[in-house]
Amino acid sequence: MALNPLLPFIMAGDPSLEALPGYLSEARALGLEALELGLPHSDPIADGPVLQAAAHRAIARGATPRRVLEALSGLTDSPDLILFTYLNPLLQLGVEPLLRLLEPTPVKSLLVVDLPFGEEPAFEATLRGAGYPMVPLLAPTTRLERAQALLGTRPDPGPEAPFAQRFAYVVARLGVTGAGQGTDLAPVLKRLDALKAISDRPLAVGFGLSDPASLRAVRALGATPVIGSALVAGLTSGSSIRTALSRCFC
Amino acid sequence: MTDAFALPTRFGTQALGGCYAPETLMQPLLDLEAAFCGALADPAFQTELKAELRHFVGRPTPLTPAPRLAAKLGLKALFLKREDLAHTGAHKINNALAQALLARRMGKTEIIAETGAGQHGVATAAACARLGLRCTVYMGVTDMARQAPNVARMRLFGATVEPVAAGQGTLKEAVNEALRAWAGRCTTAHYILGSALGPHPFPTLVRSFQTVIGEEARAQVLEQGGALPDAVVACAGGGSNGLGLLVPFLGDRLRRMAVEAGGHGRALGEHAARLDGGRLGVLHGCKTLLLQDEHGHTAETASVSAGLDYPALGPELAALVLDGKVDVRRASDDEALAAARLLCETEGILPALESSHALALLPTLAAEGAATVLLGLSGRGDKDLSTYQSHLEF
Repeated sequence: MALNPLLPFIMAGDPSLEALPGYLSEARALGLEALELGLPHSDPIADGPVLQAAAHRAIARGATPRRVLEALSGLTDSPDLILFTYLNPLLQLGVEPLLRLLEPTPVKSLLVVDLPFGEEPAFEATLRGAGYPMVPLLAPTTRLERAQALLGTRPDPGPEAPFAQRFAYVVARLGVTGAGQGTDLAPVLKRLDALKAISDRPLAVGFGLSDPASLRAVRALGATPVIGSALVAGLTSGSSIRTALSRCFC
Repeated sequence: MTDAFALPTRFGTQALGGCYAPETLMQPLLDLEAAFCGALADPAFQTELKAELRHFVGRPTPLTPAPRLAAKLGLKALFLKREDLAHTGAHKINNALAQALLARRMGKTEIIAETGAGQHGVATAAACARLGLRCTVYMGVTDMARQAPNVARMRLFGATVEPVAAGQGTLKEAVNEALRAWAGRCTTAHYILGSALGPHPFPTLVRSFQTVIGEEARAQVLEQGGALPDAVVACAGGGSNGLGLLVPFLGDRLRRMAVEAGGHGRALGEHAARLDGGRLGVLHGCKTLLLQDEHGHTAETASVSAGLDYPALGPELAALVLDGKVDVRRASDDEALAAARLLCETEGILPALESSHALALLPTLAAEGAATVLLGLSGRGDKDLSTYQSHLEF
């Protein structure tokens, strides 16, 4: 099974925080370089039913932002982590406590779904300065000129930096996260071509990818597919990461 | 950055508001602001909006003196701004109709809306029926049960009502789902947000379509009473009614009051009084006063009034409050219910539960020395009859 390149997403605290180190260790053993780790939020407005339910289960089991980051403290047997989150829990922690919590973890960057560049400039600059850049998000509604500007505002730190700090996240379709067999990939494949012409940073493609054909199509253009809801659904039913991912490939 | 917003996105000294939206919605929000600015500058849009407000909505709404209630409370004079007499029974139609006209101007074919008490949903459904737009309204299952007449009205107007079962099944979850739906259909659909909240430009758009309430009321009270009142008071859920009434009085020397839902207790989860225990936070695209736990998760809320049962105060109203230009108080479920009954008995007017929270402040205002008061009666209470019947003995 050719797993790579692949960017998996799992929700911290679902099914439990105790299970998290095991998942991260397994992901690393599978050769996965980076992993998006969801920080559960009460109002995940960009997420579909699978990730909403996972977030609510995790919160009900006590997965607060602080506990999630404490559970990651000292972990080295892990892929590089991209903390996938909404803004408010980070704001409520405060930037200095957040940095102290991040320091001993494998987190390398943050993907804050509801933080457009420029809305919290001081907060973002402090995090970037401390080594935690924000991942730029490009949507189907993002015009190419705007995409170019966005890539400039959250720049590529360069080839010596890990993938987790370099890549841009390309949203494959309108709407929210979730597996979708029917996702029409033609527009996003065209978008990937256009982006490659203006930037040489790595690209990941997510939202609605869960079948082997779409993974192949994304990889054929040199981009990394993101598997989120399909993987979370598999883990919820008790599968290992390997088993849950292999279902997406068969 | 290309495509910056043209209008100010922040309010007050603490820079509340902003545009904390997922990237998918950024271009639709930029397009919406451009369309809004274009419409405001277009005399043809203004003429059509004025004609619709007059002939469809029934504006101007009356300013009704309430002498028997005033006497009972020890006030010299009380004036009620009668948004309950606007078409569909609340102030919500002012914004819903204007945004529907804007959507048609933008070439959108479908309208998405959220609703709490159902008044915004009904108003949006009616505006869509009138303009020939498809309409989908997201509504929490708890609210669907307690505001059943409004669900029926929306369906009669041809709208699809989508039940939202997540969380407490109230307004917050309905907004979540409407935002998700809009992200999926933003190229063909416009989202008519019903309150002065959400990402820029919604707070500004909604406020500007609602200040007709206060503009009319100010002229009417000067004409009928010969002077401005000592106090102007409105209830506040998200803030569309509060801003709509209070903003036109910002330059006047008088007390501007907003009343939040005090629910049935003072602990987090027992009320929707954002000034009591709310902290600055980001929800639904804007930074504002928010009821939340220490982890930044949105808190549960409680109120007998579905329209006030929301954890965030709109950012512009929150800024006016924090900057000392509007004073906020709370009224409990019981106080609101008693105030509704008193208005029914003294003036023959059945208020919405939301408006009853403003009415519940009147004894306090009288005790604090106010002689003349102008109160925003934001909606009619027919939708709340079953709640009144189960709480009040009659």
